[in-house]
Amino acid sequence: MPDRLDMIFSAMSDPTRRAILGRLVCGEATVAELSQPFSFSQPTISRHLKVLEKAGLIEGGRDAQRRPRRLRAETIKEAADWIEPFRREWERRFDNLANHLATMTSGEE
Amino acid sequence: MPAAFQNDTDCVIDRTTHTIRFVRDLDADPAQVFDAWTRPERIACWWDATGARLAECEIDLRPGGRFTFVSSINPDHVFSGVYQEIAPPGRLTFEANGAQGRVLLDPVGAGTRMTVEIACMSAEHLGHYLQVGVEVGTSQTLTNLATYLREETVVAG
Repeated sequence: MPDRLDMIFSAMSDPTRRAILGRLVCGEATVAELSQPFSFSQPTISRHLKVLEKAGLIEGGRDAQRRPRRLRAETIKEAADWIEPFRREWERRFDNLANHLATMTSGEE
Repeated sequence: MPAAFQNDTDCVIDRTTHTIRFVRDLDADPAQVFDAWTRPERIACWWDATGARLAECEIDLRPGGRFTFVSSINPDHVFSGVYQEIAPPGRLTFEANGAQGRVLLDPVGAGTRMTVEIACMSAEHLGHYLQVGVEVGTSQTLTNLATYLREETVVAG
């Protein structure tokens, strides 16, 4: 796996950071707004945001004063593209099983 | 066939139990499906997603017994674990890669509703799975993100 994906998934391996990403799905938010639902201080949230920013998962908004953070769609697409094969692998496996069972059933008749 | 026949695989994440759940309906009774999961000559036919027969398939079918599946396409791809509960025809559980796998088979008409669950120990464990690339599917976050992306595409399109 390329280092970049390591960074993305490492950034996502923390529950607080996943919750932050989950919040940003609903729209951009400032550090203060992001701190509210968590029992963490703003500096702690800022540290988490730095990790997410470094991984390219989020970016600062246009408003320089409030610096609202928002998701970076292209990085998230990279991560989603990476995870999709795993879902597909199980889907294919179960397709194989369904075919295998069909062969066995017709063989018995 | 039941009205809500699940001929594609439904994949959901239960965030509170850190469990990935696949649901699929099959046109065979639970005993046949259980057999297909537990007899080496049968699981070797379907386990590899590519459709290729497994190069190696060893099954010691008893609680505490080990199973090892080796792909013929990619010999480095080894799936190995230890059986926990063997209760034909409805339930099979095992431990693999630090997670618990559960296969639940319920009769639906003449067929079977198969539920396959991969239960991680914690959200961190689930995250670690994602990080190391073990095949566990997707987290709720990623599901949300996928929804987000679809919406983005609609807006962009």
